[in-house]
Amino acid sequence: MHRAACAMAAADSKTDLFDGILMAEERFHGEGYQDGYAEGNRIGVTEGRIYGSLHGARIGSEIGCYLGFALTWQCLLHKCTNEKHSKKLKALESLIGMIQKFPYEDPTYDKLQEDLEKIRGKFKQVSSMLNIQPDFRIGLERSVLTF
Amino acid sequence: MARPSIKDPLALTLSCRLAAHPDSRCWFVAWSPSGALLASCGGDRSVRVWGRQGENWVCQAVLGEGHQRTVRKVAWSLCGSYLASASFDATTCIWKKTPDGFECVTTLEGHENEVKSVAWSPSGSLLATCSRDKSVWIWEVDEEDEYECVSVLNSHTQDVKHVVWHPSQELLASASYDDTVKLYREEEDDWVCFTTLEGHESTVWGLAFDGAGRRLASCSDDRTVRIWSSDEQGEPGTGVACSSTEPSWKCICTLSGYHTRTIYDVAWCRLTGAVATACGDDAIRVFEEEPLAEPQHPTFALTAHMSRAHAQDVNCVAWNPAEPGLLASCSDDGEVAFWRYQRPECC
Repeated sequence: MHRAACAMAAADSKTDLFDGILMAEERFHGEGYQDGYAEGNRIGVTEGRIYGSLHGARIGSEIGCYLGFALTWQCLLHKCTNEKHSKKLKALESLIGMIQKFPYEDPTYDKLQEDLEKIRGKFKQVSSMLNIQPDFRIGLERSVLTF
Repeated sequence: MARPSIKDPLALTLSCRLAAHPDSRCWFVAWSPSGALLASCGGDRSVRVWGRQGENWVCQAVLGEGHQRTVRKVAWSLCGSYLASASFDATTCIWKKTPDGFECVTTLEGHENEVKSVAWSPSGSLLATCSRDKSVWIWEVDEEDEYECVSVLNSHTQDVKHVVWHPSQELLASASYDDTVKLYREEEDDWVCFTTLEGHESTVWGLAFDGAGRRLASCSDDRTVRIWSSDEQGEPGTGVACSSTEPSWKCICTLSGYHTRTIYDVAWCRLTGAVATACGDDAIRVFEEEPLAEPQHPTFALTAHMSRAHAQDVNCVAWNPAEPGLLASCSDDGEVAFWRYQRPECC
């Protein structure tokens, strides 16, 4: 009787022991997942931030280039009071207006891409009116307007 | 889809065939507004102008010096004295008719790559071009033949294949590899896309308005032709731009089951109302609207089917604007063919 009870207890502790070993994989798997998830989340946020800032910077530099171009030409054309320039000035004003309305503080703005395409179109139109190749180069290696 | 019970084999007959662009593809043909001349263009980088001499058509001019690459489309101005050619070399040339032939007066640059199509507005003061660069450009012409870009429209998400103007209004339609048709008009001094026609399941290759401009036919790589209608009530030509209600375009009919390959072009005859198609299965087909159907639910019947109209893909069909039933077509085989269409008695 006594021996039998002892054997039972030994069997129980054996089960627990085996349980611990057998469940370990699952437990570590779970813990690992949690740790990995947290780590991935952290890296993801950082990565997203870097990507977002790169992408944002690209759009910013593209738009900024258009704005600088438009303001410079507006200034140049204002100096000469030629009737022929009125259409060009109007197009430039329209481009400047579009850029000023572009919401660069709000990356979730749902028409961001659509408005960007409209600005690109207007810039191409203005370039064509001014008879300027929009792929003009400043440096030697790369086209400045490949954003 | 009801098929005609009787098909008249004599509905479409060949009247003349020309080796217009030998050893290359002939991409497009366009009739001059008077119907006296036909312009063709092709992979040989040239535009050719054909005129009638008795029963035959003869080459009257070769416009060979303008382009470095394939000429994809040609278009006549409404006055008939200018010809525009769109090329894969990213430019559009404007040719002026002179007593000695044609002279290139302007080259329009601006597209980043292949220009796919060109079209003059009904007033003749605007020109539209479209390109693989996904954009549609609108140019304004002044009295001194100076061209100025008035808009660059980036509405399509893919290659733009074709542009066509409404027959009486300043309304432009474009077809694209993105499976859609877009319609544009001027709003507050700027051109905007005001409607997108969705329904085709693959590339839209061609577009044609009917004579009144109330309907638009589109043809596609999905082997169907769709007829779209403006639900705008009232007189045509009252000006879409100033109407307060948004004119909406709806698909009112789909011609499916007739074509076995891509449909590259559709032409709507302004004189007879017949619709012709150019197909990748080498055939030309003609459809007519059945007279008893409701205007908002039309049905079209196949009235002519010329299989093996060409030895290869048929790229374009064009109805003569002055002579009812005279149809021109061109193909990858480099040939241009002239056909006579006779509406069969049964319909």
